[in-house]
Amino acid sequence: MAFVSDGDDLFDSIIMADDRFRDEGYQEGFEEGTRQGTFEGRNHGLLHGAKLGAEVSFYYGFALAWKCLLQNSSDVKARKRLKAMESLIGVIQNFPYEDPQYEKLQEDMERVRAKFRQVCSLLNVATDFKEYVRGSTGMSF
Amino acid sequence: MSWVKSVASSENVFDEDVDDISLQNKEWKYNMEKRAKDGFRDGSDAGKEASLQAGFNMGYTEGATRMTIIGQLKGIMSAVRCWCQVQLPGSPALASVTNLLQRLETHEDELVEAMRKAQQRPPPSVTEMVDDMENLNVENRNQGGESRCSDNGDCCGRDGANNDCCGNVRGVSEDSPRTLCQGSFCTAESLKQLLKCCLDLITELGLPEELKLHIQQLTHT
Repeated sequence: MAFVSDGDDLFDSIIMADDRFRDEGYQEGFEEGTRQGTFEGRNHGLLHGAKLGAEVSFYYGFALAWKCLLQNSSDVKARKRLKAMESLIGVIQNFPYEDPQYEKLQEDMERVRAKFRQVCSLLNVATDFKEYVRGSTGMSF
Repeated sequence: MSWVKSVASSENVFDEDVDDISLQNKEWKYNMEKRAKDGFRDGSDAGKEASLQAGFNMGYTEGATRMTIIGQLKGIMSAVRCWCQVQLPGSPALASVTNLLQRLETHEDELVEAMRKAQQRPPPSVTEMVDDMENLNVENRNQGGESRCSDNGDCCGRDGANNDCCGNVRGVSEDSPRTLCQGSFCTAESLKQLLKCCLDLITELGLPEELKLHIQQLTHT
């Protein structure tokens, strides 16, 4: 190792102290920031997930119930409605809506909504549901 | 940051007048504190940015799962209401269904409101958060909207009165420090009641057995 003068040692220790203070501050800040970010992110996520989850679950329950109600009917209209219900149920069952990283989240959501509108028009109940679907979840179509 | 002092008073200080030294010490201290504050600010920004998305993803799944039961129940009873409007127009049965549906909506609103309120509370300490997350993991594995609270009766001070199925639904009380847990407990109890009311109404209307099974499945989710 080359000879280092006392003067060089002094400047080195000043610079090192500088970095040390900054680094320690950074560490503490990073921990605090992580806590805040996780908290805020989680709360935003909760609301978003709740809105979507409530909407999809609503459509699912609706279709399931109608399937039961129409099951034993023999007329053509009822069979057509039953088919639409089964289609909606199928789409929802294959929709991983609770996965925020699902790449087709928006796309599949639109598809589910479209199928639900179709179902409603077949049942002639479109108007009734706006109030139920809108509500606190703030959705409308 | 007690080591500020120790660095400032290390032997790497010029051997000069006491006054000069104390001024230099103060200047040194001020500068080092500034470095630390700058570092803190940068670190805080970085930490926040790094954790927002992960936090969001975690919350999203939790939120979606929380609404599954009430959402499905609302959908089922909406369908039943439609059916009643056609088959039993103007009947007391239709009125009962409509009334039950409104209670389901209120319950759903309470759940969402609890989540909104969570945004306004200050971030919990690390220990609190870890505890909460552990509780939530257990809850998600077991049942959808059920209680996460271990001390059953005491959590929201209920005395267990009024177990009547179609009696009043208690509102969410805000007194407990662990409000998130408590809110879930209060609404979880009324969710059980709501499920039972739906089941009773479906039976009364003589609707298909399969429909009852679906509701019973929700009860055991």
